[in-house]
Formats: sequence, structure tokens, C-alpha cells
Amino acid sequence: MSDHVRHLDELLRSADGDAGCTAGEAILDAYVDLELAGEDPAAVFPGTAIHLGSCPGCRADHDGLLEAARRFGDAAPPE
Amino acid sequence: MNEKPDAAGTGPDEESGRWVAELRAGHPRHDQAVARLHELLLRVAFHEVSRRRSQLGSIAGPELEDLAQQSADDALMNILRRLDDFRGLSRFTTWAYKFAVFEVSSKVARHAWQRHPPTVDELTWERLPDTLSPRPEDRLELREQLGALSSAIVHLTDRQREVFVAVALNDVPIDVLALQLGSNRNAIYKNLFDARRSLRAGLAAAGHPVLEEDGAAR
Repeated sequence: MSDHVRHLDELLRSADGDAGCTAGEAILDAYVDLELAGEDPAAVFPGTAIHLGSCPGCRADHDGLLEAARRFGDAAPPE
Repeated sequence: MNEKPDAAGTGPDEESGRWVAELRAGHPRHDQAVARLHELLLRVAFHEVSRRRSQLGSIAGPELEDLAQQSADDALMNILRRLDDFRGLSRFTTWAYKFAVFEVSSKVARHAWQRHPPTVDELTWERLPDTLSPRPEDRLELREQLGALSSAIVHLTDRQREVFVAVALNDVPIDVLALQLGSNRNAIYKNLFDARRSLRAGLAAAGHPVLEEDGAAR
């Protein structure tokens, strides 16, 4: 597939089963923790996996949360 | 469409349960837990503001710090108000950090929109960007496909065309466009989705279907 054709495919990406922004917001934390556990979040949340492939806003939020949970996730409450 | 929020996890893990318990009013370590969580949210917010730095133009250090501080403060208020919503589908920290990331996302978009609202050129359809413009060496088929895309864009609804041109062709952040149009991300995304669907169908109807990564035309 040429760069142009790939670019066109990405530009027009609109896959069936897209869960939309709102549905993904509710479960983004669970989605990210599955990723960090080495599991496949798309198997549990297929609609959000599709959505993150085509919504730049939700993808940015996902990337930020993934990085935050990876860097600062292991934090216990006060003893 | 709803995802199934109960599809993952089986309730809070031990550490997450302690976070929730200690954050409740009346717990002996409530104040320490709130302070500890705020400190963590501040770190997340600073990190996220830095990650989105490119959207913020030339704002100075103190403004960045203020943006992170406000995001952490607002996230903390939301978390404390919504503790009962935490069902243990993730670690408590990941759930809490989501509030901080969303606050930064929203505040950065508002800041970017106030300082650099989309220009008329970024919202108005004129021609395909250089990255998509046909080149002399391109195959005839591709050149025809890109020509068909240009024609199909003209036939979108006004709102679909505006959103597609801004977000897909000119990389205007979707939340900045939502603010500009007095809308929200979900509604703008729906416009974008419908525009993409319509364009894909238009190309197929014109005899120039777009292949997806698996090689199939849809």
C-alpha cells in the first residue's frame, strides 16, 4: 500500500462499531490498565479500540493517561 | 453505543480500596490522603501539560504552572465528589488520573482557542493540502481518486465540510474546533465520522473506492 493510499485510508477512517467519545471516557481507565497488564483491551472494549483509531481528541487523552498510569500508577495511600 | 463497563475487573484491589476508604470524610487519615492524592494529581497534570506543550504556543512558565495547578485542583474536587462512582474496574490511581488528564485536555484546548482560534483558511474548503495533492509521478488511478475526493468534499453538508476540512485536513484540534463552533467533542466527532463515511461512499460510487489496511475496499 503506497503512502498516499494509506494516508487516504486514515483520512477517511470510519469503521463500523465505533463506540464514540462518551462511551470511551467512562472506561478509559480500565482500558489503559488492561494495556499496562499486557492484556488486549480491544478484546474487552472493541468499540473504544476502534474509536481511538480515528478520534484525535480521545487518542490524545488515552496516550496521556497511559503515560501517567505507567509513570505514577504505583502510589499507595498514606499508611 | 455503550461499552460494557463491567466487562473488566472484579472490584477494587486492596490498595484501591484503601485509597477510597481514606479519602472519605471522617477517616483518621483523610487529610493526609487528600494531600497525597493532590500531590500525585499535580505531577500528572504537570506532565500532561508538558506533553501538550505544542498546543500552547508561547505561554510562559508561570502560566503553565497555573494551568497544571488548576487542573489538579479541579480534578481533586471531582474525584472527592464522585468517590462512589469508583467501581474498581481499574486501579484507583488510574481512575483518579483520568480526571486530571481530562481537566488538562479541556483547559489546554480552551487556552489554545483563546490565543489562537482557527483561521478562516483552516475552516474553509479550497483544495487538498500538499500532502494529498496529486504529483506528476502518481499513477493515473490515484490522481483520479484524489480528484474524486475533491469533488465529494463539495457535496458534504456545510457542517460536515467545515469539520472535515479543519480536523482531518488542517489538523485543528477537535476540542479547539468544538469551542469555536459552540459544540462539544462528541458532536464534532459525529460530524467528522459522517463526513468520512460520506466521502468514502462518494469515492466508491465514483468508481474509486479507498482500500483499507487489509486491502479490502469498503
